[in-house]
Amino acid sequence: MFDCVIRNGLIVDGSGLPAFKGDLALSDGRIAVVGAVRGAGAVEFDAGGRVVAPGFIDPHTHFDAQLLWDGAARPALEHGITTVVPGNCSLSLAPLRIADREALSGMFRQIEELPKESLDGSAFTWTWESFDGYLDALRRTLKINVAPLVGHSVIRLWVMGEAANQRAATAEEQAAMQGLLRACLEAGAVGLSTSYVDVDANLHPVPSRFAHSDELDGLAAVLGEFGRVLQVVPEFYNTDITIARVDQLAELSLRHNITTTFSPLFDSANTPDNVSRVMARVREQVRRGARVWPQVQTRPIDISFSLDLPSLFFAGNPPWYHAMRLPRPERLRLLKDATHQARLVAAAGADGGDAWLGSLILRQLPGDNEGLEGRTLREIANSRGQGSAQTLIELSLEHDLQAHFLAANRGHEIPERVGPLLADPLVHIGASDGGAHICSFSTYGDTGYLFSKFVRETGLLSLEQAVKKITLDTASIWGLPNRGLLRAGYAADVVVFDPDTIDRGPERAVSDVPGGGMRYVRDSVGVDAVFVNGTLAWDRGGYKDASVGSIVT
Amino acid sequence: MSSASLSRQRRFILPQPGDSLAAIAARELPGMDAAAAMQHLEAWNLHIFLMRRPAGLLTGCDVVFVEPPLATAGA
Repeated sequence: MFDCVIRNGLIVDGSGLPAFKGDLALSDGRIAVVGAVRGAGAVEFDAGGRVVAPGFIDPHTHFDAQLLWDGAARPALEHGITTVVPGNCSLSLAPLRIADREALSGMFRQIEELPKESLDGSAFTWTWESFDGYLDALRRTLKINVAPLVGHSVIRLWVMGEAANQRAATAEEQAAMQGLLRACLEAGAVGLSTSYVDVDANLHPVPSRFAHSDELDGLAAVLGEFGRVLQVVPEFYNTDITIARVDQLAELSLRHNITTTFSPLFDSANTPDNVSRVMARVREQVRRGARVWPQVQTRPIDISFSLDLPSLFFAGNPPWYHAMRLPRPERLRLLKDATHQARLVAAAGADGGDAWLGSLILRQLPGDNEGLEGRTLREIANSRGQGSAQTLIELSLEHDLQAHFLAANRGHEIPERVGPLLADPLVHIGASDGGAHICSFSTYGDTGYLFSKFVRETGLLSLEQAVKKITLDTASIWGLPNRGLLRAGYAADVVVFDPDTIDRGPERAVSDVPGGGMRYVRDSVGVDAVFVNGTLAWDRGGYKDASVGSIVT
Repeated sequence: MSSASLSRQRRFILPQPGDSLAAIAARELPGMDAAAAMQHLEAWNLHIFLMRRPAGLLTGCDVVFVEPPLATAGA
């Protein structure tokens, strides 16, 4: 008898080959049979009218801390994600000396927008310094598979201490970093991440940005010893710099025979030739034999925010950005002060901020909202006889900073441009940023959106193509063995979904982050069941108790 | 396939340990007046001079362009 048999499904096996009707038998955490299953299962699951596919793999996440209090990386799992890659953008939670916890926590809080309580030891117990110690801590409660990266900034911090974000490393320090990376890869890291754009809590460049090219070259050489991946965050806002990074990655790939990936690559009306120019360069480098994978997200860029918390929405306007980063009491005082208000309004533009802020949508207001929700800030401002910036401030103050706004479709929103990019064989679908920027937008549901927007609505990808992109392709790029395909002997990571309804739910704010922190999430739509290593981990009845996830390496 | 097969892109350098922007200007823009060379570097590298605090902070990983943007096709 099999542990489980999923019957009568439309099997989309991850290979990209045409779907077919059949059954799937699971035993001992592995796929036992694909096709016609004659024997019975201890559990029988009817998948009539549903797609049965390999579990999806999310290659760009920041669940490093969340996994310690939520082993399912909710709500990623319920969207069909069975494997996540944390540790991106040069940041991981190990290796980390006790003395450096506060410094690293500041970087995490900056990037992930997590409250202090989520990292100060009250949400989980720091029991490790080494990378394998961190993996041991993770293993205790995992409900999802984890393929962890180790962060370059953290490696620098371990070796160089406070000097990590001040100067170049000496030859001895570089050798120590190589040894440390080697130990992390031996413990189970699937690669190294580095960043050229991220900043710490003081808006100072993170340590990885102080590394010279010879340091990165030495670390890439170690990756080459293990056949592991290098992930980088390039200056994605500038096409020329991104192309320079593509060239840099290509040289590292060719010299050390490694796979490299960079994220994100966006389509944007501000730089309409960005994607075509970067992809042209990627094609040239791939023809040379380099492995350089641009990661492209499926969802448009939407940013939600209130003035209650710092938001990257203001990153392009330094006076607003710095004002919003003040502690709440100080920020409130500043917003209420007429002189400072006037300064902010002036910084919003000569038109009172109408061009910059007028298209914001008021998405949520506590109490009686007088029919304001869903209206643009410009409409509300006009009705009050003032500019958009003044209205943003006053409306927020009137509601104790609990007015929530949505900046919708700020890029990457045109399906006819994004769809062909996602379908490009040289594009790696990813860059969800799962678990990061949690107060600015929901990083969950990109896979549902892939099927609803690009398979069902526009037909720019076939069902089989879309599944392959987020299963076998991802497993192949990252060198994850026995994942991403429905084949006998492969790990039994399986998602069952309705191809006619799969989608991402509406974005909503929840307060489930340790310390009472809020985040934006999206529920899954059209997903029926998710199996991790052969065990049902989630169905419409909710999350299951068993800790069935594993470290995938 | 060699790098010779690559199309022309905007020329850049990655800083060497101990480099400063003045040193890069002198090395990469020889024969140009020092002040003018620095002005060029500033104009070509707004990501270092305009978007960063403190302005002009050079980090080891920076891409430093040593020529202006290339003309786009049809421009």
